[in-house]
Amino acid sequence: MLLKRHIPLMILIGVGLLTLFGHFINNEGIQNFVNNDATQWFDIIASFAIFLGALNMLKIQLMKIIKKQKNWQYSILAVIGFAFAIFAGFFYRGANFITLSDVKDGQLAVVSAIIAEEINESNPHLIQTKLEASQTAFEIDKIYMTSESAKSVIEKLHPYVDTIELKSKPWGAHVQTKGSLFYWMFINIITPLGATMFALLAFFVASASYRAFRIRNFEATLLLVAGIILMLGRVPIGGLIPWWAVSIILMFGISAISAPFIKERSLLLGLTSGGIIIIIICGTFMGWNQHPPELLSIPVIQDWIFAYPTMAGSRALMIGIALGIVATSFRIIIGLDKSFLGDK
Amino acid sequence: MNNKVVIWSVLFLGVMGLYILGEGTIFVEGARLLFASIILVSITIYYYIDRASSGEDIYLRKIPGLQALEEAVGRATEMGKSVLFVPGIMDLDQVETVTGLNLLGHVAEYTAQYETSLNVPVSRSIVMEAGREICKESYLKSGRPDLYYDDMVHYISDEQFAYAAGVNGIMEREKPAACFYLGKFYAESLILAETGNSIGAIQIAGTGSPSQIPFFVTACDYTLIGEEFFTASAYLSNKPELVGSIKGQDIVKLLVMIAMVLTVVFNGLYQAGWIAFDILSLF
Repeated sequence: MLLKRHIPLMILIGVGLLTLFGHFINNEGIQNFVNNDATQWFDIIASFAIFLGALNMLKIQLMKIIKKQKNWQYSILAVIGFAFAIFAGFFYRGANFITLSDVKDGQLAVVSAIIAEEINESNPHLIQTKLEASQTAFEIDKIYMTSESAKSVIEKLHPYVDTIELKSKPWGAHVQTKGSLFYWMFINIITPLGATMFALLAFFVASASYRAFRIRNFEATLLLVAGIILMLGRVPIGGLIPWWAVSIILMFGISAISAPFIKERSLLLGLTSGGIIIIIICGTFMGWNQHPPELLSIPVIQDWIFAYPTMAGSRALMIGIALGIVATSFRIIIGLDKSFLGDK
Repeated sequence: MNNKVVIWSVLFLGVMGLYILGEGTIFVEGARLLFASIILVSITIYYYIDRASSGEDIYLRKIPGLQALEEAVGRATEMGKSVLFVPGIMDLDQVETVTGLNLLGHVAEYTAQYETSLNVPVSRSIVMEAGREICKESYLKSGRPDLYYDDMVHYISDEQFAYAAGVNGIMEREKPAACFYLGKFYAESLILAETGNSIGAIQIAGTGSPSQIPFFVTACDYTLIGEEFFTASAYLSNKPELVGSIKGQDIVKLLVMIAMVLTVVFNGLYQAGWIAFDILSLF
């Protein structure tokens, strides 16, 4: 009980209060802990904890294969992918590069031409300038995934250079080095797969919108109308809709809102038609054809919807969420809510 | 006036006085308002926790999403299918993830009572370990430790869309009857919710990400919006202290609304030149 409940709780309360009030204490050590060390500690712990998850995933997939459970074939792909990533990250760097020094007399131009051809540089003179300027070994700006692919270049340069070496980027840096196996895997496998999943969102948004925009009640209708206005306002065609068309749409909207209160349908039709005719006639006489009012422009209405009602709603939501986070954090820091320790 | 209100008010003024006296030496300068806000919020919440612990009955409105939690598990039991719980894609340093795991404890209690299988795919290793502890305790508390096994909470991937693909695969293959999305989500929220919709599962979602709430509202049967999600654990536990903290949170919200109205009014009067005090200088 002491190890599983009380000690974690004491650590939680202590560190929580220190981090909360550390912002207000005028001490460099505490400020440094709150701003830097605390978050770094978490990053380090989370990085080591990845082994737990990875081993768990591997264990589950291997058991599925061994016991030939349903759809065990997919698990083979999972294990192969896992093994490949481990191989590319921990066993095979692949981020090879060539360094050279002590170019033989009179051979600088030849060496520059070979290097320029290798790295697709149109001006070998630039390479020659860098070679002349380099105090230590000159590193060719190209990464080779395998040492075999670098050997052909080394053989070309060998007659003209005394010292030529094939090196690899340091462990760790190789995962971000263009040309390494890990980088190749990330760019050619992981990124396209992620993009594929992300692309599914387009279809899911369409299907979700179809369900959301069905006119079931007033709120759904309002959502539909606002959605149409926002979509039209964001594309060039929205700006091309003339003021009188927007006036007609607005009049129809007003009629729809007042329809439940006007029992006589003929009266409603008369009011709507009359309103449309009056607006169009007045607008024509007031020169709206040349200078339409901003209110009757879809992009302006869209900007207004975005800037005011939408912003107000999202800010109200964010304030509520922020208060929820504050209250939840307070309950956790004072030790009132211990559910995450498994204690109800 | 209530004695406790007087005591807490004196305490607040005392702490603020100490802060002002020590400003520049022990305490940093220029953070007075923030410090006062934190102390005021803490005192308000704690005051109502204290009142609830003393036996005061606190009214909480019905939240359909929370009441549907048990119904959803019951539905899965009747259909003979499993329950899927997704605690978000972020780590335990996010409050939403902690809240989601708290709710996992309640769902695990229901699945233990109803003997329904529970599947909790997670995106982070620490969340996996915390989730296992919570599920184990819930099953133990329900008197069914025999039904618990470690692999019911299992790791898929840290990568956002790899995780979404993994969870989608689980949904398509196992076709759970109830899906819970309770935690921190980003773009994968709609992918998960739409897939769950396509398999006909009852879906209950809750998140603190404002941009994902509309997607959940559209695709899910019940959505815990904003604060409802954060108070869910306290709401379900029915413990007086936790229920009191919900009321304290509501009172803080009321104070924020009053502050906003006062700021608008005072700023308007200042802009009109009727008063010389610029309330915005406080912020």
